[in-house]
Amino acid sequence: MLVIRDLSKTYANGVRALDQVTLDIPRGMFGLLGPNGAGKSSLMRTLATLQEADSGSATLDDGKGGSIDVLRDKDAVRRQLGYLPQDFGVYPKVSALDLLEHFAILKGLTDRRQRREVVDGLLQQVNLWDVRKRRLGGFSGGMRQRFGIAQALLGNPRLVIVDEPTAGLDPEERNRFLNLLAEIGENVAVILSTHIVEDVTDLCPTMAIMNKGKVLLTGRPADAIGALENQVWRKQIVKADLKRYEQEFTLLSTRLVAGHPVIHVFSAARPEDGFEQVAPDLEDVYFQRLRQHAKAA
Amino acid sequence: MFEFLRFELRQQLSSPVLWLMGLLFAALAFGAASTDAIVLGGSVGNVHRNAPMIAAQFLGVFTLLGMLFTAMSINGALLRDFEQGTSELIFASPIKRRDYVAGRIMAAVIGCLMIYALIGLGVFIAQFMPWIDAERLGPVSLYPYAWTFAVIVLPNLLFTAALLSLLAIVTRSILWVYVGVLGFFILYGVSAVLLRDLDNVWIATLAEPLGLRAFGRSIRYWAAEQRNTELPAIAGYLLANRALWTGIALALFAACFALFKTERSGTGRAWRRAKAVPAAAVSPSRASAAAAAGSLSNVLPVFGAATSVAQFLRQLRFDTLGVLRGIPFIVMLLFGIANFIPSAIFAETVYDTSVHPVTSQMLQALQNAYSLILIIIVLFYAGELIGKERSAKINEVTDAMPVPNWVPLTAKFGALIAVIVCFQLLGGIAAILIQLGKGHTQFELAVYAKTLLLNGIFFVLMGGMALCLQVFTNNRYVGYALLVLVLIGQIVLGTLDFTHNLYNYASAPNAPYSDMNGHGHFLKGQLWFQAYWGLCLLLLLLLSAALWVRGVGGSVRERLRLARQRLRGPLGPATALAALAFVGVGGYLFWNTNIRNEYLSPDDTLDLQAEYERDYKQYRNLPQPKIIASQVDVDLHPETRTMRARGTYRVRNPHTTPITDLHVGMNDDQALKRIDMGGAQLVKHDETLGYRIYRLKTPMLPGAERDIAFEIEMAPNGITNGTAQTQIVGNGSFFNNTVFPMFGYNEGAEIQDRNERRKRDLGEPRRMPKLEDRAARASTYIGDDADWIDFKTTICTAPDQIALSPGYLQEEFVRDGRRCFRYAMDRPMLNFYAYLSARWQVKKGKYKDIPIEIYYDGKHAYNVDRMIEAVQKSLAYYEANFTPYQHRQVRIIEFPGYSSFAQSFANTIPYSESAGFIADLKDKDAIDYVFYITAHEIAHQWWAHQVIGANTQGATVLSESLSQYSALMVMEKEYGRSKMRRFLKYELDNYLSGRGGEIVEELPLYRVENQPYVHYRKASLVFYRLRDEIGEDALNRALKKFLQDKGYQQPPYATSVELLEYIRAEAGSQHERLISDLFEKISFYDNRVETATAKKRTDGKYAVTLDLRAAKLYADGKGKETAGNMDDWVEVGVFARAPSGKESEEKVLYLKRHRITVGQPKLTVVVDAEPYEAGFDPYNKLIDRVSSDNRKRVSL
Repeated sequence: MLVIRDLSKTYANGVRALDQVTLDIPRGMFGLLGPNGAGKSSLMRTLATLQEADSGSATLDDGKGGSIDVLRDKDAVRRQLGYLPQDFGVYPKVSALDLLEHFAILKGLTDRRQRREVVDGLLQQVNLWDVRKRRLGGFSGGMRQRFGIAQALLGNPRLVIVDEPTAGLDPEERNRFLNLLAEIGENVAVILSTHIVEDVTDLCPTMAIMNKGKVLLTGRPADAIGALENQVWRKQIVKADLKRYEQEFTLLSTRLVAGHPVIHVFSAARPEDGFEQVAPDLEDVYFQRLRQHAKAA
Repeated sequence: MFEFLRFELRQQLSSPVLWLMGLLFAALAFGAASTDAIVLGGSVGNVHRNAPMIAAQFLGVFTLLGMLFTAMSINGALLRDFEQGTSELIFASPIKRRDYVAGRIMAAVIGCLMIYALIGLGVFIAQFMPWIDAERLGPVSLYPYAWTFAVIVLPNLLFTAALLSLLAIVTRSILWVYVGVLGFFILYGVSAVLLRDLDNVWIATLAEPLGLRAFGRSIRYWAAEQRNTELPAIAGYLLANRALWTGIALALFAACFALFKTERSGTGRAWRRAKAVPAAAVSPSRASAAAAAGSLSNVLPVFGAATSVAQFLRQLRFDTLGVLRGIPFIVMLLFGIANFIPSAIFAETVYDTSVHPVTSQMLQALQNAYSLILIIIVLFYAGELIGKERSAKINEVTDAMPVPNWVPLTAKFGALIAVIVCFQLLGGIAAILIQLGKGHTQFELAVYAKTLLLNGIFFVLMGGMALCLQVFTNNRYVGYALLVLVLIGQIVLGTLDFTHNLYNYASAPNAPYSDMNGHGHFLKGQLWFQAYWGLCLLLLLLLSAALWVRGVGGSVRERLRLARQRLRGPLGPATALAALAFVGVGGYLFWNTNIRNEYLSPDDTLDLQAEYERDYKQYRNLPQPKIIASQVDVDLHPETRTMRARGTYRVRNPHTTPITDLHVGMNDDQALKRIDMGGAQLVKHDETLGYRIYRLKTPMLPGAERDIAFEIEMAPNGITNGTAQTQIVGNGSFFNNTVFPMFGYNEGAEIQDRNERRKRDLGEPRRMPKLEDRAARASTYIGDDADWIDFKTTICTAPDQIALSPGYLQEEFVRDGRRCFRYAMDRPMLNFYAYLSARWQVKKGKYKDIPIEIYYDGKHAYNVDRMIEAVQKSLAYYEANFTPYQHRQVRIIEFPGYSSFAQSFANTIPYSESAGFIADLKDKDAIDYVFYITAHEIAHQWWAHQVIGANTQGATVLSESLSQYSALMVMEKEYGRSKMRRFLKYELDNYLSGRGGEIVEELPLYRVENQPYVHYRKASLVFYRLRDEIGEDALNRALKKFLQDKGYQQPPYATSVELLEYIRAEAGSQHERLISDLFEKISFYDNRVETATAKKRTDGKYAVTLDLRAAKLYADGKGKETAGNMDDWVEVGVFARAPSGKESEEKVLYLKRHRITVGQPKLTVVVDAEPYEAGFDPYNKLIDRVSSDNRKRVSL
């Protein structure tokens, strides 16, 4: 669906936001994991035609047997695109209905009757129908994000890009939002960037992990988890020892349980007494890749 | 608290924007103080450049402009924490609210004081600049600065800071603080209108928070000498104003402390937030939502040209409504209306008498008081519109939408235009409502629409440019900063003598609108230049489209790369085409303004004047012939604004020497097509200065006469840089004989301004010849080309127009389809005649057997009958008291309001449409200035057209002052003494403030050198008092004899000294002192009632004891005063209270003139009824600078 090859971008301040990024993104949900500053947003902005790349290519198949050069033919991409940027705002004094209507026209839905249907349908789909006449300024974060996805879905996009949509949402809103995403992911490519591992675990058949502009891993989550089988160990320790463990082992994560650190360590064999083996999850994969990358750097 | 103060002060002082503004203002202050190029709050005039009042005035004006940086400081100090989200950090710590607010505001105030110190420094160092004439400097002193900071700057800063702090605290919105500043500016302007009403001085000076008017009022009547050395005492208006507003400032600060809240709520918008609590999530069944989604996938977007248009229209609507619904727009609209209403209602009031709300007046008020707010709206919204998506953080969404690049920019520009149109439309509606409210029902909707749209063009150009700057800089504040630079550039270019419209963005020769002539031919020039700048804007817009940022704005290099890429598309050729058209139209305009016409900057014009003086002043006394008869055949084509004239002067050599050379001067040399003086050789022809010297083949011997024939052709030559000529127009042409050839050197063309002369090494400005100069009496003060002439003329004009000139109509006929009129004067008249042509209505009246005709525009019939009545009553008084009227007819003729005067030619009085034809005389209390002006102009038929002054000092006494006196008498007969008192109050005020603005030297009335504040304003007071003391009969007898003896005299012409001889002869020696004080000196009184107490006597009468102060002062021409000896007859009055409380209806209990010879007279008078007020010169007949203390309430 979307093929990215050797995409690179260096900002004026010398930061390499994208470093030879190569990815194949199929239909369905695609999770893009990475810490803050990993280059996720740069990648997404580039794919959303909002930023120029220095080199590399990105090709989107146009659904009619042809393909679109994402970096050159921006207008064609925009006609296929739904984009929900990170941290997006709204005009506070405009109602949801009016703004969605406005966006629908910008998205090329010029026929009044059809547009009305689409807008009404989407408002129902994202569960904002009852509040459609309310000013957007009064929306909660979750409602606003749902409005965001509604606008992204206008005009039947074939590529939907959502950048950290669940940040700041409460669990219930987050679930509602992810359900929405899951629904639409059936026919189109949805790129979901996040730093919340569960989002990806729950939703995405394929994924990639990025850090410092580089792709560290790409593939199916299950495969990645499987690769760590029998290599993740857990132990509850005292706080004073944390430093030592950090130095001696590949520490994946630290979590406080009842006030004492519980650590996950990556190791082919049991690191030392007191460690018990645990079944790895995507979070372990994520941290393992980050640690590995940090070491290599 | 000091911690807050210290921290905030560091913040303030490290703000580059604040310092930048400070430096900018300091530079402006320096420029204003050291040059005439920048003018702040009135020009420096003839006061020393470093006079104390100049420092006070400049710094005072800056406290108004300085609200901009005060707002910035206050916003920083009080709102920064909320903006940056640090408020919760700060208020979570254990601080005292009071300390926080006090510390922050104090820091902001101190920061602003630093800026004012910088500005003060700018003014102070200006006096040391080498280019300043040492003659224009007084001693160096820091005292005025200390005074100004204490009395003006600090109180104003406290007040403005308090006001803006309160606004910041209550609204928590930076925008509202700026809107507050804007509102303040406008309210400030509105109160200026109030001040024009004399009776409201206290209100207007108190209501003005910055004390500038109180200051101005305190020094209003100061002469130059006083202005150079003194500052007003902190008393009266000034003290009251300062105390009031400092008090208000303290109250506002108290309110700030009370209302400041650290929480997020309490911003006054809580209700809105409360309403917006998120609704409980609704969860209809998932299935239905999914089903809905499924059915949607059939609807596919369509992309094509129609889609782009739909997107454009939608965006346009969205952005326009966004602006129109925005609070700033609505606030500014309301300010605009609030500003407009008073100026529409008080527009063009003369002597507080208002005018009919005719369309031209409304349009003028709209342009002056309303539309200018659009400049703020368009400049502000240019940034808002471009940054709209970004500030809502929605730009990444919209930028990723399938919208062509041209749509957003075009839509935003369109929105700006739509906003301008809406704003103008609302202004038009407001104007019509005012007309309706005043009972005016001649609505000219088409004129409104046309003019308002025309006026809107400038704002479209400015807004568009601001829009482009926003796009280019891609940063709202940098964009605004550049805009400010452009605006300053526009002003500075003009002051640096770069005045061509071709390089001054959005400038064009403005087309004045007149009810009579509409926009006339002026529109062409305006529209061409606006088209030129429109193309410039188009070019900028196309470049903006190329540089339009979509998504994340990259580096400059990246944007340029992208722009080059975009320009390879259709944008490129379009840009090239626009550039070509811009250059093409520019070239066409240059050809018009600089090749077909002559472009002269103000300095160029002055240089030419200097050259004229240098080259030809040598011929000043060269004997030249005088015209004794003039016969002109004028062929006027108002349709094409051309005029051809063929004329013949009969000239005579009145001198004792032969004339060999004839010097011919022309205002426009090219217009003179032919001149034939019976055999002459052109020995010098200066085309630029319009000066020719002809050597006569046969010299004119003394007493010899000959004919000089000439041919003139005036035709427009395309577009000029300035507003086109106003003499020959479609409807309402008015020109006089100065377009015909003149003889010899013309002293009137010399530069009068002292400084401009000094720059050009021309020495002191020309003054009128002294009274003692006998040679100067050889000619009249209106020109030396003729004494009295015989006059005949024919004028042909458009078939639907009437053409007029002095003389009597001999014949009306048609020649080549033109309507022609032949006029002839039956007796000698001054060489001073005019031609007028328009489509008029005519109203006729009669005084005895003298026909009176008023030629007026059909829309302006209001006061025509009043004018006829005024003519009748004037003729009656003047014929009864002076000499018979010399003509057999009086004609008053309306001309378009390009000028607003009335002027008296022989039997012909052109009268501007804006000077009386539209006066609204419904209010019976109002001063009927139509009657007054008419009486004055009719009086000129005696004073100027029978007796004319020699070309010496005091000449205008014989024309203007005596016409003033004559009109006063006619008015008094009509309206009574109490109304005259009101009229004279205006005259006194105008005289006293006029002398403050004198730039050369104030002269006693009998030596007046064409100074209007003396020969009109002071003369009214002088003659009215003279009449009071010597009696109307005596004075009129003197005048009658004077007319009889001096009427139509040949040289040497009469002088004011001769007039005084006639007056003295009638007045008798007992009035010698009075006449000398009134005419030969500049004298003032300082009279007042100290205390007035009354006791009821047993017989029921009241004994009123008055403790008075009397003083007389003499001033020299510079205003230096010396004490005089009081020995005058002054009225003392005691009055009972009128039932209505109005002074005009009070009952006079006692009124008698007392001879006052001491400084502190004590008087007791007995009156029959209970006294209310007592007065010493209660009717202000003497010239007294403080007229309000001449009356006092009587205490019982």
